[in-house]
Amino acid sequence: MVGPRDRGIVLLVVTYSRAARTTLRNVCRTHEETVVRRFGRAALLAETELGAFLALRLREKHAADVQIERTAPFNEFEAVPERVRVAAEAYEARETPSTPYTRFAAGTDHPSPAAMRGEEL
Amino acid sequence: MRVVVDEREFAGQAIDLRRAPVDVDGASVAAAVSGGPTAGKDRDAGRSSSPPGDAAGRSSSPPGDAAGRSSPPPGEAAGRASATSDGAAVRVDCPPPGAVHGFVGHVAPDTRVSLRGALAAAARSRGLTAPEEDALRDARAELADCDAPTVDRREARRRAAAAGEEADRLRERVATLRGRLQTLRDLGRDDAADAAAEELSTAATRLSEVETERLAAAQRLDALEGRMREHRDARERRLRLEDRVANLERAARESLAAAVYDRFADAVRRLPGTAAPGDAPGAFAGDPVTGALGVVAVAAVDAPVVLSAPRFDSAITAADRLDAPVVLV
Repeated sequence: MVGPRDRGIVLLVVTYSRAARTTLRNVCRTHEETVVRRFGRAALLAETELGAFLALRLREKHAADVQIERTAPFNEFEAVPERVRVAAEAYEARETPSTPYTRFAAGTDHPSPAAMRGEEL
Repeated sequence: MRVVVDEREFAGQAIDLRRAPVDVDGASVAAAVSGGPTAGKDRDAGRSSSPPGDAAGRSSSPPGDAAGRSSPPPGEAAGRASATSDGAAVRVDCPPPGAVHGFVGHVAPDTRVSLRGALAAAARSRGLTAPEEDALRDARAELADCDAPTVDRREARRRAAAAGEEADRLRERVATLRGRLQTLRDLGRDDAADAAAEELSTAATRLSEVETERLAAAQRLDALEGRMREHRDARERRLRLEDRVANLERAARESLAAAVYDRFADAVRRLPGTAAPGDAPGAFAGDPVTGALGVVAVAAVDAPVVLSAPRFDSAITAADRLDAPVVLV
């Protein structure tokens, strides 16, 4: 299932109707080897031709009630600026658990939520 | 009710076909009661859409008067027909069957019914309504009004992929031409080098055009994906409504089944076969056929129930004990 060149990419399939959810459930039951992880109405399928086939079959049957995304593991050292990583670490190490992040960041070098909201990775 | 088997006619509320001129199987009679295998489809598809000549076996019914929705007064019932396995024609004239018939229209030796659903249908046939009915109607109406727009991204995906492939191909070609140009210049073949330079320039221009196209296609796809993401909120809401309707339907079935369960328990205790009704549909541990007969006894039944499970000596006894029109086969 996991090839040597695998970079951990998987197909995320999300369903948006009862009928599509039922089909996904049945597909997952009969193709366990292709299912990486199952959630209630979503599943991660292996990035193989069979995984793609199953995802496309679902979409053929349920059209827009099926969303297919290709997702990769998140590498924060590749994708995220240091100040954001540092801020997350520092906030989780805060002394007063009840301090909201906005107050925590005020007057420090940590970025405000508003500043981060506008910045794409 | 009237049953015609191979031109022999039987009439009354209790019909015994076990001495009919030909063998008749219960499934065929039950199919004739419910309008035959084709009539059922017509009903779903909308009667006006069936082409002329498609009404085999219902030849006397004018269009729009086929078995089903309109309920003709007793005695003026719609004619129905189906064929037995060995080819004998069975015709049943009777009032239209109700939802209960979907569960116990034919009680055979191997009949197993889902008691909760069957008893809910039986309760409805008696005019009972579930306390969830209002909420259910509201939820269904809300679901019917729930628009879930969609954005077709298939063509945009195809374009984006095609533009990407074309750009990759051209990039390779530009690299190849660049290499060839260099080689020709090194070899001092100036004429050939000039021609290669021209080719390279054309390819480079085309590459830059295709890169622009690729970018445009990617942006277009991004925009469509963004719109679809917004529409998914509506789908999310619709799914929640679908779940709500399904939960209310289940709750309504449970309420209705519970409302007639005492009556059902009494009925199975008086009927032939093992009765172990317990105090709820899920607790029933008796004979499944007895359970099915209990459902018939509890329901208000106008159309005949077909019995091929040998539980009664005569059709008259069966009709009497079940308080329903009966065809024994």
